[in-house]
Amino acid sequence: MKKITILSIFVACGLFATDHIIDQKDKTFIPHLITVKVGDTITFKNSDPFAHNAYTDDEDNEFDIGMQAPGTQIQVPIKAVGTFNIECAIHPNMLLEVIVK
Amino acid sequence: MKIFILIILFTYSLFSKVDQKQLELGEKLYKNTCISCHGVNGEGNDDMNLIVKSRNLSKSILTKEQTYFIIKDGAHYWGAKSDIMPAFKYVFKDYEIRALSSYISEIFNPNIKQTIKKEFLKSGNIIKENISKMLKVGEKVFKRNCSLCHGIKGEGDGIAIDSLEDSIFPYNLTKTILSTQQMFLYVKYGGHAWGTHKSDMPAWGKKYDNFTLKSVVKYVDEVLRDNKY
Repeated sequence: MKKITILSIFVACGLFATDHIIDQKDKTFIPHLITVKVGDTITFKNSDPFAHNAYTDDEDNEFDIGMQAPGTQIQVPIKAVGTFNIECAIHPNMLLEVIVK
Repeated sequence: MKIFILIILFTYSLFSKVDQKQLELGEKLYKNTCISCHGVNGEGNDDMNLIVKSRNLSKSILTKEQTYFIIKDGAHYWGAKSDIMPAFKYVFKDYEIRALSSYISEIFNPNIKQTIKKEFLKSGNIIKENISKMLKVGEKVFKRNCSLCHGIKGEGDGIAIDSLEDSIFPYNLTKTILSTQQMFLYVKYGGHAWGTHKSDMPAWGKKYDNFTLKSVVKYVDEVLRDNKY
């Protein structure tokens, strides 16, 4: 019974997981603030004609997508509850705030 | 006493005359050669449609001596990826290059040394900071931020260089002519504050504090650069 319950929770999480699209345009993350939940994903879409990057040093959600070429999309998972910032390593003014519930 | 004063005035007038002659020669050479790219007032000439837009000399961070070396050897020798600014040692004699660098420095940007000193003093002293800590911080930030454009060894060959905005060619930092103070101000305020094209090197002072920026400069200076200008 316990196994079935746990399995059901995982299935439900998978079913209701959302992919949040973040556009990188004119050296800005659009939108610049999102609220997500654990299990969701964020897809970074580079709409600028030049390279971007996205990273966070948040302990529980740490990632760095490296150099992202123009016109490409890269997806990252949200692993833990908290609030953290995502930045671009190439353009210091770019900032995305993420709230994970 | 009067004779002494007269001698001083005479000597001063002699040197002033020499300087004036040097400036006149520099002006003549500038107007014959440099003006087509750098414009009448040193602010650049957009009509030329150059791949790399010429620097605004009135905002240049270079001292007179550094300007001399850039004119003499060309910018590529000192780390620029493009060779659009050629080596004039094949064109001009040494005294002509000195005259040109004097003219550019004296006329367009005479107070740069004071500006560098003043701006650097505003950012606080780091002499007492732990050098190994600075190198550790500097390496981390360099590898995360700077290396994408400047390359992991600072040679201007980062993985993003083929996907940057038009006319941006990251410098080979191993060859830079800049002092550590100049590098710090360049990183903090961005290239545009010092005369480069507007979308060139961004201003990292908006993101990082002075200690972090000085740590990056320390890392570049101690670990990456070849020349110790």
